[in-house]
Amino acid sequence: MILETKQLSKKYGPIKAVDDLSLSVEKGTAFALLGPNGSGKTTTLGMVMSALKPDRGSFKWFGEEPHPETYKRIGSLIEIPNFFNYLSLKRNLEVIARIRGTEASDIQRVLDETGLLKRSSSRFDTLSLGMKQRLALAAALLGHPEVLVLDEPANGLDPEGIAEVRNLIIEQKNQGKTIIMASHILDEVEKVCNHVAILKKGRKLASGKVNELLVTDDIIVIDSNNNESLKKGLVEKGLVKSAELKDNTLEIIPASGVSSGHINSFANEKGIVINQLYIRKSTLEEQFLELVK
Amino acid sequence: MKRLIRLEWTKISSYGFFRVILILTLSLFLLVIFVFSRIDISIPGFTWRNLFRFPDVWSSFSWVASWFNLLLGILVITIAGNEFTGKTLRQQVMTGLSREEWLAGKGLLILGLALFGVLMVTLAGFTFGFIFTNDLNLGIIFEKMPILIVYLMQAIGYMMLGLLFISVLRSNALAIILYLLYFIMIEPIIRGLCPVEIRPWFPVKIISHLTPLPEFFKITSGEALDNNYLSFESIGLVPRQLEGSITIIMALVYISVFSLITYLVVKKRDL
Repeated sequence: MILETKQLSKKYGPIKAVDDLSLSVEKGTAFALLGPNGSGKTTTLGMVMSALKPDRGSFKWFGEEPHPETYKRIGSLIEIPNFFNYLSLKRNLEVIARIRGTEASDIQRVLDETGLLKRSSSRFDTLSLGMKQRLALAAALLGHPEVLVLDEPANGLDPEGIAEVRNLIIEQKNQGKTIIMASHILDEVEKVCNHVAILKKGRKLASGKVNELLVTDDIIVIDSNNNESLKKGLVEKGLVKSAELKDNTLEIIPASGVSSGHINSFANEKGIVINQLYIRKSTLEEQFLELVK
Repeated sequence: MKRLIRLEWTKISSYGFFRVILILTLSLFLLVIFVFSRIDISIPGFTWRNLFRFPDVWSSFSWVASWFNLLLGILVITIAGNEFTGKTLRQQVMTGLSREEWLAGKGLLILGLALFGVLMVTLAGFTFGFIFTNDLNLGIIFEKMPILIVYLMQAIGYMMLGLLFISVLRSNALAIILYLLYFIMIEPIIRGLCPVEIRPWFPVKIISHLTPLPEFFKITSGEALDNNYLSFESIGLVPRQLEGSITIIMALVYISVFSLITYLVVKKRDL
């Protein structure tokens, strides 16, 4: 086990930022903490990285109580990139390398990998947010850490940058590194991670494999001469998991074993004329919103 | 330790404010002693230039250097404060630097700055001492030189108090303002409200008294009045002071207390 938290809790005044959070991250997985803003993702990562003190609960890295040496095996980017404004990119990475005991030659490698080699002499405060984010990633990659802990790694990047960073993370994952990533972007989670824990108001709502937890349901979209009556009938008959009127259409998620044919027959029985009926997959976003509702 | 020294140096060597304060401290110190050394008053029983002669040059110059300890304290507040406010301390801890190591690094920085002050006084002391002293011998050169160690301790005390202020307040501006106010107003007011016996025991009083105002009349009057000089204390120019050894012990106690509180604050609080 790479990371294990038990009943981790943290309060800011009366607000429970993280509440009784227990998680397990296995070696080699790409684990996402998914949740809306204020769900406790950053606080959780802050606690497991020893920047924040938990009010209650405990955590272990690599099966051991954490100590400073532990963190030399972990590359991290939490919240915004935090570097010395007056130092160059190279000097900032030297600070990280000295703490981690990494060879100075590795600085060139990570600057190259993150596309910052040409800006290595620039002061940190002259960089755009996207560049700062890249530097934070470079710092996280320094010294070939076994685990990457990334909080919203695509924050501030343009679409091209997002794709590059995503590919970089996937590359690290393919090399066998464990990735722990906080994000509120479902697309990012779906493309990078294979495990996910969904948080809301500091509590874990669900956790499991991404393809199981965020499984996409079929949605049947119906345009009939009486959408309201059809909705009512379908709900009463128990033919749907959910039904929602949207503009001039009725969107339903059918109950288990119910097909579009069943819906059509039911409408006929009720004397409702269906003008249009088609099936679409629900988006991950819809699934996520359903979970955190 | 070598690793921590290198780490601190990587962080501060390119910091403009660091260079400015060091140059400012050095320049102001040299300016003051140069201007004072230009004064040439010599009448029977009063020789101004005795202040620049061995062995009294060490106490005179340590006292002048102590005026600039506040600048070094502000520098420490700024350097450590930047790491709190810019959250670079947080990043360093997440990278594998323990909070104790960070504090040890700051301790080394403080020691380095204090040694800079000692070096400044030593070089200036030798230069002016050799220029102004007539009857040179080894004994007279080194006689009062141990005051440099006391000056070192004083500079450390000023800077440790600065580190304590910034660790608690975590705002550069607020810490600098309160730090200066504490020296200039807050402690003097509190002292003034306390009974006379307690007044010499306050931290700033103790630490600033490590390099006391040189016994001006004794030094300038020369050997003739050596056992019968007018001390500032005896004529009421400065309040009653503690004995030197007690002052040193108390200063060490205060420095230890500042260090301990700083350690507890940094150790316990979120970054």
